[in-house]
Amino acid sequence: MAGIIDVPKPRINCSMLLQHINQAVCFVCRVSKVHPSGKTFTAVDGEGKTVTVELNCCLEEELSGVVEVIGLVSNKGVLMAATYNLLREDRGTPFDLELYNEALKVIHDFPQHYPFEAAVSG
Amino acid sequence: MSITLTQGAIEALYKGLPIKNPLLQLLNIRQMTSNSGLPRFRLMMSDGQHALSSFLLTTQLNHLPEQKLLVQHCICMLKKVVTSTLADGRTAVTVMDMEVVQSAEETGGRIGNPTPYNKDGQMSSPAKKSSATLEPDSSSATAPGPSYRSTSFSRSNAAQSSPTNSPMKVSPMKDTNSPMKFSPAKGTNSPMKFSPAKGSNSPMKASSSSPMKVFPISTLNPYQSKWTIRARVTNKSNVRQWSNSRGEGKLFSFEVVDESGEIKITAFNNEVDKFFSLLEQGKVYYISKATLKVANKQYSTLKNDYEMTLHAHSSIVPCEDNQSIPAMNCNFVQIEELENRDKDAIIDVIGICKKAEDVSRITTKNSREVSKRALHLIDSSCKEVIATLWGEEAEKFDGSGQPVVAIKGARLSDFGGRSLSALFSSTIMVNPDIPEAFRLRAWYDREGYAVNSQSLTERRSTNSGSRMNWKTLSDVKNENMGHEEKAEYFSCLATVVYMRKENCVYQACPSADCNKKVIIQHNGLYRCEKCNREFSDFKYRFLLSANLADFGDNQWVTCFQETAEVLLGHSAQTLGQLRETDEAAFDEVFQKANFRTHIFKNRVKLETYNDESRVKVTVMEVLPVDHREYSRRLLSNIRRLAC
Repeated sequence: MAGIIDVPKPRINCSMLLQHINQAVCFVCRVSKVHPSGKTFTAVDGEGKTVTVELNCCLEEELSGVVEVIGLVSNKGVLMAATYNLLREDRGTPFDLELYNEALKVIHDFPQHYPFEAAVSG
Repeated sequence: MSITLTQGAIEALYKGLPIKNPLLQLLNIRQMTSNSGLPRFRLMMSDGQHALSSFLLTTQLNHLPEQKLLVQHCICMLKKVVTSTLADGRTAVTVMDMEVVQSAEETGGRIGNPTPYNKDGQMSSPAKKSSATLEPDSSSATAPGPSYRSTSFSRSNAAQSSPTNSPMKVSPMKDTNSPMKFSPAKGTNSPMKFSPAKGSNSPMKASSSSPMKVFPISTLNPYQSKWTIRARVTNKSNVRQWSNSRGEGKLFSFEVVDESGEIKITAFNNEVDKFFSLLEQGKVYYISKATLKVANKQYSTLKNDYEMTLHAHSSIVPCEDNQSIPAMNCNFVQIEELENRDKDAIIDVIGICKKAEDVSRITTKNSREVSKRALHLIDSSCKEVIATLWGEEAEKFDGSGQPVVAIKGARLSDFGGRSLSALFSSTIMVNPDIPEAFRLRAWYDREGYAVNSQSLTERRSTNSGSRMNWKTLSDVKNENMGHEEKAEYFSCLATVVYMRKENCVYQACPSADCNKKVIIQHNGLYRCEKCNREFSDFKYRFLLSANLADFGDNQWVTCFQETAEVLLGHSAQTLGQLRETDEAAFDEVFQKANFRTHIFKNRVKLETYNDESRVKVTVMEVLPVDHREYSRRLLSNIRRLAC
């Protein structure tokens, strides 16, 4: 967990998962189905693609809506979550996942203008 | 009495036709005063049928009447005459040489029962024919349909005919029936039998079906007045009224086309009444006698240096033979091409009306109410554009069934990117009968309906209906905004970084709508100069000076009552009181308001105060940031700049 906190965590969506295998990432997605065991759930990103998220500890409460998951990408493309936080829908403007996806594309299309790595370490 | 007069001689002489030695009887002789001092004799001659008093005796023959050789009722042989037109248009036959062949005594009296000759050789009663020119229907049987002629339109070959035609040329069509009296027919309008003698194609009947020489439109110019064109009406506008300082009136205009080109024609006031119902779009007419002048390119985009104005003498007659005249002349531009055209260009466009919005009524700057309707047009370039119809056309437009709509002469504007607006002179055609329309219909039914087209006219879903002119604060300085006399408006996203606490409120006149600062007087009352009254109280009003900043620049702005209240979150009254009572709370209001980001709608203008001019920015409205809309705009800007 310590390894994840001070490392730059690029924001990605499903199509970029495989480029970040074994790297810490930040993933914003909408929960679609929670596994009965409570240890894993599937979610959908801004493009509509599905990702599986594995948690290290069990879910105590029912999870739904948009979550921001920080974790490691396994070799199989599964997101091993270290931590997550729920973006509440009942307060403020509802989160627009499609718009977030568009922004994501811009960040990755123009990395020279979005030097996040440098910002974190420097 | 054995001598017979030459029948028809009067007519021939009047028309200037050659006639050899005609025998005429002198009915009357009169001496006229002339400028030169010499007596001038005027003769009334008769050929037994007609009489004409327009004969002038050449002064060289003055001895004839002076020596009593030329006496009333004598018979003369005219050996040499010259028929000419006087300055006032009357015809005069000058007798250059004549011989008295029979004396008055021998002749005995007036031969026959000659009637005064007029142009058409008819009786002197106001003939129906000549008065017909004033009625909408020519009473002559051969006149086809509702042909309206305000004057004889046989002018077209007047050029070929002899000077005797000239009295017709300048017929001042002011009064009604031409005086059928025995005076040289002045301004008579009878167009009938008087066919220009020489080179006339066919006898000129009362009807308009006589063929005349048709000129191509491309040859029309203001220096030639005798022409007739045969053309099809391609575009007819509605009647429009105007009222300006010089007066008022009504007008309508239409465009016509023939094989050689097109020209615009305008009719004003009386001519509107005369011709508006006669002219139909798509039909062919003979038009003659109108004023040509240099075209006012501001109102017309036809390829012609000249344009025409109808006047009282103009003539428009329907023509049946129209095969050779081309129909509508349209240069349709593909919608995707519109981006490359200049703003304010006049364009012809055709497309499927994918969607027609409801008609709405808006009030213009001049407080006129007008209807408008927006049509979404799409064509095979898979691009869409909004075309706006106005007035009656907007009201009666029926967009059901996604019709093909063709607009000729619409103006391209840069409103919302690119959009089209129908002008007064534009023609809107719904489902026109042209091959382009069929092509579009087929394309749309096959694939067009499903296309996710991109509209050239961005629809702003943000609050204000009018365009939001988004700028950054650095743009204001870089673009020198507001430097002209006219105020400029723009919207921006900015953060409040500083607000002046001193003088953020002032004491204003308590009367409603008066915001003038009041002066505190010695007696403790507050005086308002504007209302010229004294008050015991005042109301606090905001006059906040704030500094806004964004990533690029900062800008000092002024906020008045409403906008300041939004920024500070408190009313002016509250703040005014806090200032006097609780300074800490007063400061805290400013602290909380500081470093907040809003959307600002501003006005920037050059203002002069005591000989000093400065560009000042005033906040018109403060709105909360709509992050999603802002993000979308940024994303589209990024994508656009990246290309």
